[in-house]
Amino acid sequence: MSWQRMAAIMGVVYGIVAILPLFVGDIRFIMQILIICLIWAVVASCWDVIMGFAGIFSFGQVAFFVIGAYTSGIFAVSWQVPAVLAILMAGLFTAGMGVLVGLPCLKLAGPYVALVTFGVHMTLMPLLRGDIGIALGSGGSVGILTIPPITLFGYAFSSANIIPTFYLTLALAVTCSVVILVVINSYWGTAFLALKDSEEFAVSLGISAFKYKLMVFALTSFLTGVVGAYYGHYIGMLSTRMLELDLFVTLMVMLVVGGIGKFPGAILGAFITVTVNELLAPLGSYRAVTMGALVVILVLLLPNGVMGFWLRRSKAGATST
Amino acid sequence: MLKLNHVTKKFGELVAVNDLSFAVEAGQVFGIAGPNGAGKSTVYNLITGFYPFEGEIAFEGRNIAGRQPHEISKLGIARTFQIPQTFPSLTVEQSVGVGNRFGARGRFDPAYVESILAFMELTPVRHEPTGQLSLLDKKRLMMGAALATRPKILMLDEPMAGSNSNEIRSLMESIRRINAEMGITIIIIEHFMKVLTELTSTLLIIETGTKVCMGDPETVVNDPEVIECYLGESYG
Ligand SMILES: Nc1ncnc2c1ncn2[C@@H]1O[C@H](COP(=O)(O)OP(=O)(O)O)[C@@H](O)[C@H]1O
Ligand SMILES: [Mg+2]
Repeated sequence: MSWQRMAAIMGVVYGIVAILPLFVGDIRFIMQILIICLIWAVVASCWDVIMGFAGIFSFGQVAFFVIGAYTSGIFAVSWQVPAVLAILMAGLFTAGMGVLVGLPCLKLAGPYVALVTFGVHMTLMPLLRGDIGIALGSGGSVGILTIPPITLFGYAFSSANIIPTFYLTLALAVTCSVVILVVINSYWGTAFLALKDSEEFAVSLGISAFKYKLMVFALTSFLTGVVGAYYGHYIGMLSTRMLELDLFVTLMVMLVVGGIGKFPGAILGAFITVTVNELLAPLGSYRAVTMGALVVILVLLLPNGVMGFWLRRSKAGATST
Repeated sequence: MLKLNHVTKKFGELVAVNDLSFAVEAGQVFGIAGPNGAGKSTVYNLITGFYPFEGEIAFEGRNIAGRQPHEISKLGIARTFQIPQTFPSLTVEQSVGVGNRFGARGRFDPAYVESILAFMELTPVRHEPTGQLSLLDKKRLMMGAALATRPKILMLDEPMAGSNSNEIRSLMESIRRINAEMGITIIIIEHFMKVLTELTSTLLIIETGTKVCMGDPETVVNDPEVIECYLGESYG
């Protein structure tokens, strides 16, 4: 897909989202869902960059989100660091963790990369709930309950000011998406794709596998950490509940629905998945089962997600006219 | 230009390359032949930094042992692979661009990429994704991407395998021109003796990782030991 097309799709999606408050701005509950959609859109897009573009089967995406959220929360609560600064520091810290996790993955084949990165996810809950976490300020099994909202020029962006907070989240999501768009269409993106397709051919042509793989880890964990940190300040509290499987699975569903390696499909996937999930809420305990069944059907019908389906349709349309 | 000095490579018990020494002079077309499993491709993998080994490999007087493949590429050593490699996510033009962007000593030069596409007759398929190319075009693409790194030496691993006689003639002509017009030194692993005798000025025969014989191709193909171990009684 050309970068112009990616940018156009992104522009349309975010453009529509930007005018939604005109219609639903006074329905708090919908505004909250939109904010959450924007946050997951970035996290799913980052996962797509590392998995879909770079071909690295990292399952540490939620872990990086939680690391970012907790780091910023601890900085803000235990050290009284201003939220904006804490978020940036959390992003950098998460990027460092991403590189550390990436190092052992460099020489490993796909399934082992998945194991190592998911291992990080698994160790995070006992770590945050245990003595080490408590010493660091994680709040143990209770979590962190009093994270201050982001304050810019004396104005607090909290759920009490839902519309301004929505636009701040939108600005963050657009910024992250533009970064992703630029990176995957630069020669970095070419290097990621080349290494995914044939590592030996790529390195024989001068691409450093070491450099570009670590760069993917650093970039995606930085953005994920920043968004995780932002999430913590928006919600105001954190617990290890996020590390339970349902969030991980929901994120994976977003990616599959959008289409793996089909950026900006992941953004669409996030909006579709969250919306469907909310629409299924009346089903109560049958919601998860129904969602699962819908995913199975979707994967069978649209193996490349909505983005792949749409691209194929528009291609067929172009050749038949 | 390129010199191997007592190079040995073991894969566990298996000795794939056994105390091998030879030298390639600048400007020549150097041939390597030998039965399957003789260690020919492994020699390429050692030169291009894919595996550690014992012994010494010198390029332009510098020992290059221990360098990473992408560093070797930047020194001016390019190669193709026996099993055609492509980047299915990229177009032909982008793939050739990869060589120029990452491998070349110097800046990315679209005009140079353009000239390589034309030289390898890839211009008509430049916007195709590389996964769907014909075998011949895949080979041209591998050579083109390698050439885009502006190498001093190009190492080809069985470039003729699976090609018909017209394709072989076309590939041979390309190789001759790469050597003569671009001034690039060439090493070629090949099974077709006719290709080797026509193209090369020195021919090395290896078997089970060991040098059997080396010299000018006419002499080598008439060597009794070579006939016995590789060419068989029927040759000639
Ligand atoms: N990565 C590897 N691991 C183990 N054995 C290998 C590896 N690469 C090559 N070999 C073995 O080394 C020997 C030489 O292989 P190769 O260099 O591919 O032969 P040729 O190219 O002459 O046909 C073969 O026995 C092959 O099985
Ligand atoms: Mg071989």
